[in-house]
Amino acid sequence: MISGLMHGLVKSQDKPSSMGFIPSSYYTFSWNTTFTLGDFNKWVGNASPAGFDLGGRYFIKGGLVAGFNMSWQRVSQIYTNETFSLPATGQAITATNYRFTWMVPFQAVIAYHLMPDKMVSPYIGLGIGGDYMEHHLLVEEYDIYKTRWDFSLTPEIGALIKLGYYSQWGALVAFNYKWTTNQIDLYKDKSSKNLQMLNLKVGIAYIIR
Amino acid sequence: MKIKLLTILGMGIIAVTSCTKYPPSSGRVTQDLVVYTQYDVTVNFNEYKTFSLPNTVVYIDGKDTSTLNNANATVLLNRIAANMKTRGFEQIANTAKPDLGVNVTAIKTTTTTVYSPGWYYGYPGYYPWGYPGYGYPYYPAYVTSYSAGSVIIDLVDLKKVVNNTVMVRWNAFIRGLMTNTHTQADITNSVDQAFTQTPVLKTTL
Repeated sequence: MISGLMHGLVKSQDKPSSMGFIPSSYYTFSWNTTFTLGDFNKWVGNASPAGFDLGGRYFIKGGLVAGFNMSWQRVSQIYTNETFSLPATGQAITATNYRFTWMVPFQAVIAYHLMPDKMVSPYIGLGIGGDYMEHHLLVEEYDIYKTRWDFSLTPEIGALIKLGYYSQWGALVAFNYKWTTNQIDLYKDKSSKNLQMLNLKVGIAYIIR
Repeated sequence: MKIKLLTILGMGIIAVTSCTKYPPSSGRVTQDLVVYTQYDVTVNFNEYKTFSLPNTVVYIDGKDTSTLNNANATVLLNRIAANMKTRGFEQIANTAKPDLGVNVTAIKTTTTTVYSPGWYYGYPGYYPWGYPGYGYPYYPAYVTSYSAGSVIIDLVDLKKVVNNTVMVRWNAFIRGLMTNTHTQADITNSVDQAFTQTPVLKTTL
């Protein structure tokens, strides 16, 4: 009988009925791939895997969490034989353009985990904050650039995946749309407003019970 | 252990993807070509019908001036002539009183910092071929330095000489063209680009 009870206890630890636990918090480190949209896409059309993201989430009540995100991202593209004309003055210049923008976003995040105790816990969230961006245009030895701060909103969907019933390690997969008040105005007749992008984040999570 | 490996792998991916793929500025200067053009917006090029072209390219190396007669110079001059003819201008001898004169100069030096207008006079050794004076009727952009092998093509107005001075009506500045790193195809393409980005440079006979 004792043996049977012990066997049952061991079994219940292996596969608890909740199939996991509700964490008190978790921290994430993700690889971030950026896809530019709209005017931002006209500036740099390439998707960029150069980026990472650090995040922290704290469970407030049930599946409701609050936290933060800090990131580093870079998008870049080379345009060969790009011509820029100023008809009023009769000027035109053709050159290889090296364009890049690097970004440091920092946001407060609120999210809701639909099934916080499950092994796979999907969530929806919203980030609110700002970015520091530098837009660079390189032509030969010239580096023409502007720095800008902005306000940004980032609705996000994703999932926290526990790597074991009691493991403190997990994985994070998330996809977000980001809208900012940032702009690019390095060209007089070509300006970009409200830069937008999509981000795909894949990373690891450290989960605290 | 797996987690540590994954973390290290992730860090490695980020480090690799975060590296810049752009060449340094010194590399961009020697490898990239820049084609800059400017024309006199007050001029109707239809008033000009003929042009003349020298047989050689003026070559400036530091304070020394000489002429280029090599294959690259021939390709350069022939391509300029071809583009002028395509735009409707007729090539005639320099002695037959052409409406426009073409002056072609290659500059090797990299150290000069100059500004327009008037920078031709400030550059040691540079004088147009046999013109009494040289002027700019418009406000050109800043040209802050010459890189190795830059080529300057000027169309000077021989029809309307004012106060013993000829005026430049069109100017092309091709930076880095006559270095050894560029091919004759680069020369051809750059000259073509200079004309392409100046659609008003044309006439009807």
